[in-house]
Amino acid sequence: MKLLLAPAVGVVAVFAAALAALLQYSVLEFIPGSLRTGGFTLANFRGVLAPGYLDYVWDTALLSVATTGLTLVASYPIAYALARTPSRRIRSWLLVLTLAPFFTGAIVRTYAWMLVLGNTVVTWPVPMLFTERGVLVGLVHFSMPTMILLLAAAISHVDPVYERAATSLGARPARVFWRVTLPLSMPGVVSGSLIVFAWTFSAFPTPELLGGGKVKMIANVVKDLALDSFNWPGAAAFAMLALAVTLALLAGLSRVAAGRAP
Amino acid sequence: MLVRLVTLVLATLLATAGVAHAQGPLVVSSWGGNWKDTVERVVGKAFTAKTGVPVEFEVGGTIDRLAKARVAKGSPLVDITLTTTHVGRLYISDGLFARLDMAKLPNAKQIAREAIRSEYHVGAWAYVYTIVYRPDLVKEEITRWADLWSPSLRGKIAMPDFDPSHIITIAALMEGGNELSWEKGQERLRQLKPNIVAFFSTDAQSQDLMKTGQAPVQVMLSVNAYHLQEQGIGVRVVQPRDFPGIVGIDTMALMAGSKKSDLAHQFIDLALSKEVQTELVKSLRAGPTNTGAIVPAPLRGQPGIFLTASEWKERGYIMNDEARAKTLPAWREWFTANIVKK
Repeated sequence: MKLLLAPAVGVVAVFAAALAALLQYSVLEFIPGSLRTGGFTLANFRGVLAPGYLDYVWDTALLSVATTGLTLVASYPIAYALARTPSRRIRSWLLVLTLAPFFTGAIVRTYAWMLVLGNTVVTWPVPMLFTERGVLVGLVHFSMPTMILLLAAAISHVDPVYERAATSLGARPARVFWRVTLPLSMPGVVSGSLIVFAWTFSAFPTPELLGGGKVKMIANVVKDLALDSFNWPGAAAFAMLALAVTLALLAGLSRVAAGRAP
Repeated sequence: MLVRLVTLVLATLLATAGVAHAQGPLVVSSWGGNWKDTVERVVGKAFTAKTGVPVEFEVGGTIDRLAKARVAKGSPLVDITLTTTHVGRLYISDGLFARLDMAKLPNAKQIAREAIRSEYHVGAWAYVYTIVYRPDLVKEEITRWADLWSPSLRGKIAMPDFDPSHIITIAALMEGGNELSWEKGQERLRQLKPNIVAFFSTDAQSQDLMKTGQAPVQVMLSVNAYHLQEQGIGVRVVQPRDFPGIVGIDTMALMAGSKKSDLAHQFIDLALSKEVQTELVKSLRAGPTNTGAIVPAPLRGQPGIFLTASEWKERGYIMNDEARAKTLPAWREWFTANIVKK
């Protein structure tokens, strides 16, 4: 049994070492124009706790919440159809369409969205490319396949007998959905939402390309600090701050979800 | 007699080849794509033909390669690094470059004084950051930096966000300052904000924005603009009348700890030679650093192509590398907070 745990312990050890290195970097003085670092300082944390940087954390949190909500709403009907359609043919097609984005890669998909959201293919009434709206569209599309699969798995575990029983007792379809199907599929809703929220919080290519430098999320700012300003201690401090915020938010969401689980 | 002579020649050739291969290849760190292909074809092949030593390339972005070099400090994975002049300052500050032995670089005597960036790195070619636009999508002719502020260009301009030093310097110059007194241009830059539609992080993004017309006016690298022209995109490269373009110089340097110092010097010297510089100009459409290089007629007088010492001085603005490397974080922070953010 202990031997089976060895790989997990190894992985944890590697991540812990990497995090320790990041933490160490975050408390070393940044010397502009040099790759060398100075002595111990907390100035990097003071720097990233300034309003300008906290705005990025706030923007990232808002985009993550919006992405999670929209992904859930857009994915549920597809997941429901996938789980409940009696036609094997339709199920196969839905599954193929759901899985197809996984095979195209994030960069290709995002470049495709650049063409669609720009005014080259479609003329939009409001600017889409290089705006938060455009980034949101890209993030939702990126997240949907995973959400659909998780929801479909959860919905397929809801025995249709419960829904038929509710209907036979006079409940209308909307009431059946709200009172029976949705509560019983909550495990999928919760796990899908947590996963989508967590990876949206650390999204990089979508805001990098669809944001056109104007919409930045935490990962983009970390990259800017490290690779464009050569401020690796500052980047490490911001990454640590982001990690702390992510863990706190996920812990909070998990507690809320645990309280609501059927 | 003949048999003995042939045997001697063969033995000498084999011994020489054996030495060359025993040393292993000379490894050059470079950007990928057209940059690497050109250096390999123009410099690498000539070097191998001359010395018998093969040349291998490690390719990557400017900062990725810097990060790799830091990790391998002391026992470098490459012998020569090609990088931008101000990032070269970061390599130097961390002791990653070795001092060049100018006695081993006789061709350096022919290169422009401005191209010898330090005792550690010398310029391989030059270009400018200047205004590039699509006349089919922009009605008014652009001839000056000041034209970028025209209300008719609202929502049409893109510029790099990874390094705003060019536009910051131009704005400062327009207000009577320079990169050292860059604060003078801050208000002017704020006025440019409504005209900026996007910021790009890579050359590829910049070219996409230009091709699709999403940002038909850009502050762009002259070599990238010429590349777009080669692809049939009708962009116009402006030689601004009010202030010169900001010069960029890509440099070569010997890595500290390289065991092939002599070969690396030979490679760098070859790259600086008149003949190789002539070929580099043709392939990259960048300016030669060797003032004796022959430049094709259509390229003469174009932005980023400097032929004489006076052209180096008058037709481009060269920023102070050290000040640029030291101030870039502050520039980026200010630029992001005041120009990039909504």
